[in-house]
Amino acid sequence: MITKCIRPSNLEEALEQLNQQGYDGKLIAGGTDLVIEIKHHPYEKSTLIDISRLKELRFIEIGETEICIGAGTRFSDIVNHPEMKGICAGLWEACSSVGSPQIRNAGTIGGNICNGSPAADSVPPLLALDAQVIIKDTTKTRTMPLKDFYIDKGKVAIEANELLYAIKFRKPKKDEYITFEKLGLRKALAIARLSCAVFISLGDGDKIEDIRIATGAMGAYPQREEALEKLLIGEVFDAPLIEMSTQEIFNIAKQRLGSRSSAVFKCEAIQGLFGKALRRAAKEAKSYDFHQFNS
Amino acid sequence: MISISLTVNKQVYQVEVEEDLRLIDFIRDKLMLTGTKEGCGEGECGACTIIMDGKTVNSCLVMAFQAHGSRITTIEGVAKDGALHPIQQAFLDVGAVQCGFCTPGMVLSAKALLDENEVPNRHQIREGISGNLCRCTGYNKIVDAIELASSYIKEGQQDETSSSGRQ
Repeated sequence: MITKCIRPSNLEEALEQLNQQGYDGKLIAGGTDLVIEIKHHPYEKSTLIDISRLKELRFIEIGETEICIGAGTRFSDIVNHPEMKGICAGLWEACSSVGSPQIRNAGTIGGNICNGSPAADSVPPLLALDAQVIIKDTTKTRTMPLKDFYIDKGKVAIEANELLYAIKFRKPKKDEYITFEKLGLRKALAIARLSCAVFISLGDGDKIEDIRIATGAMGAYPQREEALEKLLIGEVFDAPLIEMSTQEIFNIAKQRLGSRSSAVFKCEAIQGLFGKALRRAAKEAKSYDFHQFNS
Repeated sequence: MISISLTVNKQVYQVEVEEDLRLIDFIRDKLMLTGTKEGCGEGECGACTIIMDGKTVNSCLVMAFQAHGSRITTIEGVAKDGALHPIQQAFLDVGAVQCGFCTPGMVLSAKALLDENEVPNRHQIREGISGNLCRCTGYNKIVDAIELASSYIKEGQQDETSSSGRQ
């Protein structure tokens, strides 16, 4: 039950409070998942620390080679950003598909990551971008790959005294592109039944220089499909390769989902979803007008 | 209890609230502004939509203490000096209200949309109200009403300019 509320006025104070409250403390930002939990289920923690208004956590920095997004950045901030759509389309598409305008105005990218939902929309594209998470406590800052951050459903590698500060990734270059595809039960407000993000780097003769594939809601948490990536790196992007890779993702899904009731649907659907994300990423990488966002 | 200070419909409140109180409960049960509805309580239906610091949010997904320092508009604060807001007038003129439960949220989503984009097309209007469900499924008339409201607002501005021009 919630018996105490704290409104730190800056990041340092938030970290101090988090440290003092220990296991009883829970950070609240957009609240779009947490408030439902507090209202509808017996809640085990007693203290809420509100970080929704901390300006230090709300930023989008686009550097020469790197993009860094503050954990408190709202989905609408990303959707309305003048450059994000052009620079990393797949992440922009995922953020636009989150909930509804109301949810996007409140929900933060850091909350989406830390809740550890297998269906979190922004996570597959961040995984495909090979993002790193920057985590702070009162004394230190550490950085780790997002793909290692997920431990299990709803469980992420963050300690009770730590706060997710930001997410960073290398800015996609010429001949590189990222896409996102999602299946939901309706257009707005749909929780992803299944999602997929593909980052591709195409070289001369359509050779796949690099590829990163991530799935959402295909297992306990969003994850990279590295076995599949290994099969594709160095190959020439053509029709037989697409066919081979969609067959392979079917095999992966089948093995991972086992006898879950959703397995039959998901094994079938992931082929179409992944195929679409892959074809679109390759097509865009080829025709990518680098100067459109670098001029 | 925790003390909060906020502005609702241009009125400043300095009050003590329970730690586990949601913003919707504060608005409905403490301020008795019952125009804001609770539908699903999970952010799916948008009946509890309010405008907080210029942006629509679901008041069922915000804790009351988080609203400290914010400026809030509820449906009760939309009309000005006893005259209906052009969006409210357009909803009446078109007949975009059936049971009325979703209407406050629809009007506020429409207001947030028209505040940012004066002349939205029908696709943008649908996108703007995509977080609001109408159980009576009267969406077409709601979209018509928002289109009409956009023209009322434009006309209103023209009237203001022409009348000031005459002075």
